Amino acid sequence: MTSIILFKHTHFQLSRNLLTRTANTYPLLFKEESLNSFKERKKKNKSSRQKRSRNEGDKVDSEEVHHFHMKDESDEVDRGKRKSKVLGNKKRKNEIIKETMPVEVDKLHNEWESGFDEHNVANEVEEKKRSISRKKKRKHQKLEKAEVDKVDELCNDVKDIANSKNGKSKKAHKMKKKDQLSSRKDVKLLERRGDAEEDEVYQIFAGDDDCSKGMKKWITEYHQSRPGLKILQQRIDDFITTHEAQEEEARKEREAQAAEGGWTVVVHHKGRKKTTDSESGIAVGSVAQAAVMDKMAKKKSKEVGLDFYRFQKREAQRNEIMMLQSKFEQDKKRIQQLRAARKFRPY
Amino acid sequence: MASEVETYTDPVNLKVRELLKEVHLDYSPETTKYVHDVVSSIKEAIDQIPENLQVLADVASGFVRDIGADKVEFQFKKPKSIEIGGSYSIQCIAKPDVNIDLLLRLPKECFHEKDYLNHRYHAKRCLYLCIIKKYLNLSSSVQNVRWSTFQNEARKPILVVYPAVKLFENPGLVVRIIPTATSLFSVAKLNLERNNVRAVNQGDVLQATPKYNSSILEDMFLEDNTEFIRRTFLEWKELREALILLKVWARQRSSIYAHDCLNGSLISIIMAYLATKSGGNRINNSMNAMQILRVTLDFIANSKLWDQGLLFQPQGGHNISKEQRGTYLWSFPIVISDPFAGFNLVFRMTKNGFQELRGEAALALICIDKCKDGGFDEIFLTKIDFPAKYDCCIRLNLKGNGEVSASGFCLDDECWRSYEQKVLSLMHRGLTKRAKFVRVIWRNTTLDCNFENGLAILDREPLFIGILVSSTEEAFKKAIMGPSPENKDEALEFRNFWGDIATLRQFRDGEIAEAVVWEHKEWERHLIIKEIIEHILSRHLSLSEENICTIVDQLDFSLLHGNGDPKNLLDAFDDLSKRLRLLNDIPLKISSVQPLDSAFRLTSVFTPTPHPLAYEKGVGLKLQKFTSTCIQPLEVMIQLEGSGNWPMDDVAIEKTKSAFLLRIGESLQSNWGMTCIATENDVDVFMSGYAFRLKILHEKGLSLLKRQIGGDQAKRVLCTDKQLFLCGQHSSMINGLHGRYSIYGPVVRLAKRWVSAHLFSASLTDEAIELLVAYLFLNPLPFYAPSSRISGFLRFLRLLSEYDWAFSPLVVDINGDLTPGDKKEINEKFMLSRKGYEENMQNVNPAMFLATAYDQTSEAWTRSSPTQAELRRLMAYARSSVSLLTKLILQDQPDSYRWECIFRTPLNNYDAAILLHRDKMPYPSHLLFPSELNQGRRVVCGNASKLFNPFMLPEDIKGSLDELKNKLMVNFDPVRCFVGDLEKKFPNRFKVWYDSLGGDAIGLTWEKAIKKRERGDTCEEEKDLLDALKAVGEVGKGFVRSIHLLKAPRLS
Repeated sequence: MTSIILFKHTHFQLSRNLLTRTANTYPLLFKEESLNSFKERKKKNKSSRQKRSRNEGDKVDSEEVHHFHMKDESDEVDRGKRKSKVLGNKKRKNEIIKETMPVEVDKLHNEWESGFDEHNVANEVEEKKRSISRKKKRKHQKLEKAEVDKVDELCNDVKDIANSKNGKSKKAHKMKKKDQLSSRKDVKLLERRGDAEEDEVYQIFAGDDDCSKGMKKWITEYHQSRPGLKILQQRIDDFITTHEAQEEEARKEREAQAAEGGWTVVVHHKGRKKTTDSESGIAVGSVAQAAVMDKMAKKKSKEVGLDFYRFQKREAQRNEIMMLQSKFEQDKKRIQQLRAARKFRPY
Repeated sequence: MASEVETYTDPVNLKVRELLKEVHLDYSPETTKYVHDVVSSIKEAIDQIPENLQVLADVASGFVRDIGADKVEFQFKKPKSIEIGGSYSIQCIAKPDVNIDLLLRLPKECFHEKDYLNHRYHAKRCLYLCIIKKYLNLSSSVQNVRWSTFQNEARKPILVVYPAVKLFENPGLVVRIIPTATSLFSVAKLNLERNNVRAVNQGDVLQATPKYNSSILEDMFLEDNTEFIRRTFLEWKELREALILLKVWARQRSSIYAHDCLNGSLISIIMAYLATKSGGNRINNSMNAMQILRVTLDFIANSKLWDQGLLFQPQGGHNISKEQRGTYLWSFPIVISDPFAGFNLVFRMTKNGFQELRGEAALALICIDKCKDGGFDEIFLTKIDFPAKYDCCIRLNLKGNGEVSASGFCLDDECWRSYEQKVLSLMHRGLTKRAKFVRVIWRNTTLDCNFENGLAILDREPLFIGILVSSTEEAFKKAIMGPSPENKDEALEFRNFWGDIATLRQFRDGEIAEAVVWEHKEWERHLIIKEIIEHILSRHLSLSEENICTIVDQLDFSLLHGNGDPKNLLDAFDDLSKRLRLLNDIPLKISSVQPLDSAFRLTSVFTPTPHPLAYEKGVGLKLQKFTSTCIQPLEVMIQLEGSGNWPMDDVAIEKTKSAFLLRIGESLQSNWGMTCIATENDVDVFMSGYAFRLKILHEKGLSLLKRQIGGDQAKRVLCTDKQLFLCGQHSSMINGLHGRYSIYGPVVRLAKRWVSAHLFSASLTDEAIELLVAYLFLNPLPFYAPSSRISGFLRFLRLLSEYDWAFSPLVVDINGDLTPGDKKEINEKFMLSRKGYEENMQNVNPAMFLATAYDQTSEAWTRSSPTQAELRRLMAYARSSVSLLTKLILQDQPDSYRWECIFRTPLNNYDAAILLHRDKMPYPSHLLFPSELNQGRRVVCGNASKLFNPFMLPEDIKGSLDELKNKLMVNFDPVRCFVGDLEKKFPNRFKVWYDSLGGDAIGLTWEKAIKKRERGDTCEEEKDLLDALKAVGEVGKGFVRSIHLLKAPRLS
């Protein structure tokens, strides 16, 4: 029925309210913001692994400038240092990437899946110990939490002071051993953090009664969005009715305005001519879009071609030349780029 | 200036210039002086050797024993001359291989007249080199001396000298010492028909030893030929450049730059032939380097002269008679007779190698004609190694295999070469029409051979077989038909070849014949070729299974759950479309039904399996133990007959569509008992075990959009109708492509799995992957279209990592219906999109420009992702996977673990990693590898929710059917929900990397470096960071297992 009701209206007015709603239904678009410098640099490394260091130096130079131009000049002094650091990091990073696939993954796998690999027996034992202690700790935390605080589960920062020292040293050890890959600077930072805030692991409970977040929310949303066909139908009907009412009102308003002035406003009707029988709402002479297009294409265009006047021809020529020129410029730029990337080197 | 302008006008020319600059060795004063110094120091060292030193066989007893020489003692005399020859002397060195060939003329006094017999010459030659090696090692200017071989011929070792002082520009420069035997023996005694190795006989009749004889003749005329080449090339710059280009071309192709095919000096010989009167002056002075290259390639690929043999005009009175020519053609597959003695310069070239060479030359010519920029990239820059070129690679490990050298190492030919031929003929016989081409190469002499100790160690390297499949249909055939049993001899032969597995069969057409049949399920038929190969190799070469490594199915582990029979699904779809068309209680009739989901075109990683709860009423219900609670819907597009009554604005159109869909759903439910589950936007119906999601395409919606075009290109969101329309077009095009290339599906599936396994699900859409893979099949040059999943997958990775995304659009012309005008338009649109590049290198939209007939502006699939940064990351990952995969194919990797690494992603490449509860994933079986993390710092850990289980619990199953159906969740995916919530909550803080195909890890990278504040504020920042990660954990409450902080953000 809804659909049939709908069909009585040939056009709706756009309402702001509705538009926004549509917008929501579209998939979220990822914003094309410029990316942070740190990431940039990292990617650069990966893509330009083969570049020679002197090239890299140049690159870094320009990039640094690019990234730091916003800062005040007092940082000038720092810059040199940083540059060298970045270079160093780069080298190290390059190594990482070379290794990651086979080596890193190796480690992970060995420890998890086939735990008894020869290489990793030692590691494994250590790992187990650690995980046991971790488990204990977790239990401990839970108990404590249960006792102390039952209401506010979420913002609980349990600090296990007794464990902290132990944990700290272990942490440092772990860092050194496992985290060879991340740059030294990072390690330092992380370590210091460990110092400052103790080794704490934030515990999140399943929250199976909290509808605002997490699994519960998703499941609730899932079920709420499927209330059954009848209700959905009803909702759409409601929407159409209000939409129609708005439509009607707008029309009346227009008419009223026209009547007030004593003038009859002649409105140009958009869209096709009559394709429906106004009483029954049945389509009488609708044509498929494709057919129309086909017909249109067959029609000989009466318009005068764009090269009718001499100036048009000249303009077209000029455009062509401009296009060629810009292509030429782009080619040149590209070749420079390729040369810099040693793209002409077949080995 | 003028010249520069001229070169710029022609991009090919310019690129060739640049290439030559890269590979050409600069003959600067420093370089020449350096070379001179090195050579004279070597000469000096050789001068130190005492005259008349008695040389006995025990200097290299192993070598002498293995080649079967007798009487090899001699007194050492100084070499007659030491001259620089080879590519250095004609300035045709192509970097990176900088070899300086030093031709060392052996003194006649050391040899007897009859030393051409029984490998005596070869033995003495080697002993002579042993002495030189010993004394060179004493010299201070020499860092190291190693053995190598002349064109992989083990009986002709040479010395490679590594100078102690390195040249700055070319640290890899080495000097090769190659002995020559100018006028040592009588040419007549080395006539092709003569036997000079007495061990070669059949019964009592001595057999001719053409290869052995040629091997000696080659040494005798090496200097003359070098001089001849030098004369031809020296004053001819274009010819030299063309030679360098051809060398680059050949070296990029490891299948032709081999001992039984082409090498640098052979190229120069062929070119010299074409440039002199002998070859009719096909190359003349007015040609430039590229033209010469083209003429040479064309000659190699198409000339009929090869059948008669190429004859150089004799220099110095020697003439070849007709009979002699006949003998040549009879003894060797390819003949180029040398200008001095008329021996065959290409006596090592096999028919197999020559066919390969012709094939590659023909492909190169096609590239010049068809590819952009004259095929420059394809010809010179693309590396065509075995794994990329061949559909199926086989590695034979023959280490310690006694059978190879059972009848001696060196007779007329060397045993390794004979073995190659043996393997090749077996392959031809076993594969018949399945293979378009088979290549067998055994590069058995590596640089580290110690020839003094004999030749037994030369079987350490694996032997390679590369197979180009003729067509998938042919290769997937289940039966090999033999002769009819009445034909007794042939039947016996067939049985002998195939052994026990040959049986007598009656075929459908009533014919009875010997046959071999491999029974396989539809999706396992790519294994047939592997089984054939393994069977014949183990039967005839008695190789054990672990020594035969056939690269066919090593990556199949990643597609395990997608192997269902697609027939059920397609049948269900047919039924559905019939039912839809027959519906008559809705206002408008349904005019067309089109499948959209990739499962319908067999390109989804997991082929959906029927779910027991998704059947219509009345179908018997059998619930297994692990009945999934989730079901993935498959999109189906419906078009309604035309009507003028549609509303005109988007929202109303969408609402009307929903109303229609609800009516359709209701109608299906009441007419056919199909359960219908709907939300405001989606309507799903259950049928035959599948869930179908219905969508309506409204054509008028498209024209509505056209009117609104304008405004910001990048930020424009496509309206639903446009999106649907694109999906429909894409779907039908890919469907057509799949019909043309049956291997397309598996390649796409591997590619999709790889992309999501490395957490790129958000970066590269499935459709974009399908188009990329389609490109491989439509524009395969310089290869043939891939015919196996592994070669296709490898080339996908190579395309991703090597394509010039910044400067070229990728045009995927699936049905060949783009006109030149369209292409021009695409190019213009591309240029427009790259205009911003000048200002900001990072901000180019779209970074990956994928144009198709239905979408010339690349707005359908890559409009907003991948971004420039994501693309760079993708390329880096692809590059790393390419090198790993290539290595796996080329080198011995006994365990399957290394193969898995292609799909394992290292989590330490992210700034933070989130691990999820595996038992809360909707399809736990889709997980490839469970992730664990021991690195970084665990910041958050969380408990699993009890609300959701991927499988129906026993107590759930007891309810009525309707209740059960209500428990079935359509398209519920907590990973997607979580990622969506994260992006909503932290729009600019994190970049989220995830795996949409069931991975249990999510990577986070910081979107922006945190602004540096006062010095003391680092604590606060840390707290910020930790709080943010805690909030992340909260968002995924009940699902997040733990969060690990791996790298702190850089301060800036």
